[in-house]
Amino acid sequence: MLLAYRLPRDPSTPRSALWRKLRRLGATQLLDGLAALPLDARNREQLEWLADEVFEAGGEATIWIGELASAAQERELATRMAKAVAADYRALIDDAAAARSERAGRRRRTLGRLRRELRRIRARDYFPPAERELAQQAVDELAALVEESVR
Amino acid sequence: MRWATRRHCHVDRAACAWLIRRFLDPEAEFVFVDDPDEVPADATPFDMRGVELSHHGGDCSFETFLRRYELADPVLWEIAKLVHEADLADERYDAPEAPGLDVLLRGLSMVRDDEELLALSGPLFDGLYEYRKRALLTGREPA
Repeated sequence: MLLAYRLPRDPSTPRSALWRKLRRLGATQLLDGLAALPLDARNREQLEWLADEVFEAGGEATIWIGELASAAQERELATRMAKAVAADYRALIDDAAAARSERAGRRRRTLGRLRRELRRIRARDYFPPAERELAQQAVDELAALVEESVR
Repeated sequence: MRWATRRHCHVDRAACAWLIRRFLDPEAEFVFVDDPDEVPADATPFDMRGVELSHHGGDCSFETFLRRYELADPVLWEIAKLVHEADLADERYDAPEAPGLDVLLRGLSMVRDDEELLALSGPLFDGLYEYRKRALLTGREPA
């Protein structure tokens, strides 16, 4: 599914709001003004609301249901999306490792934050990379450490 | 009055339907359509693209209802935050209950049709309203 859009350069707020919302959904920017997202009922609805926001900001937007012409290109796109979330998972794994040396109270708060972050990343993970399992492990291990320190 | 919305209701439409029946039109009748073109001439459409009672400026439809009908009840705005985050999850508000509400209604919509979904989710929103009201009055979460 594709969102093709054009937004005025100024003001820049709607642009950055749109960019942030597309990123949260896990969309990939194919070109300037063209974002791709796997098709499902929820994404379709969310993309339609974003298209309306573009109109309200004085821009233009259309939604396309598309298919890549070759399987190789399709794999490439999936790989690109998987790589983007893999990087997010790796950052989370690093944060979890750093939290191990934090003091107990602070570590508990970090755990809460990382659990929420993991949920957010999983929500936009359509082609799970190996890092997904590793990130889950890192958070589980941190949770075990937090539990241990209260005993 | 007749009101029309898209078929396969989720949290925002369920919350709007509850709001309509409880605060705007106790006799409300709902029509569910697949396409905006199918909205009957005598029905007011909501939570559909291109209509007034829908998403605007980053608001979900429930928030738009509160603004358009000038419902200033602070308890309704508490529920609006929850509905917004359950529907859009864009972190405009802090609503930790939102992922739970999203899952409950999404699951319910898998096993019930739209009429039944609204019949079942109505009392759920009544309960949320009561809970949030007590929390606002006492300044703490009811136990």
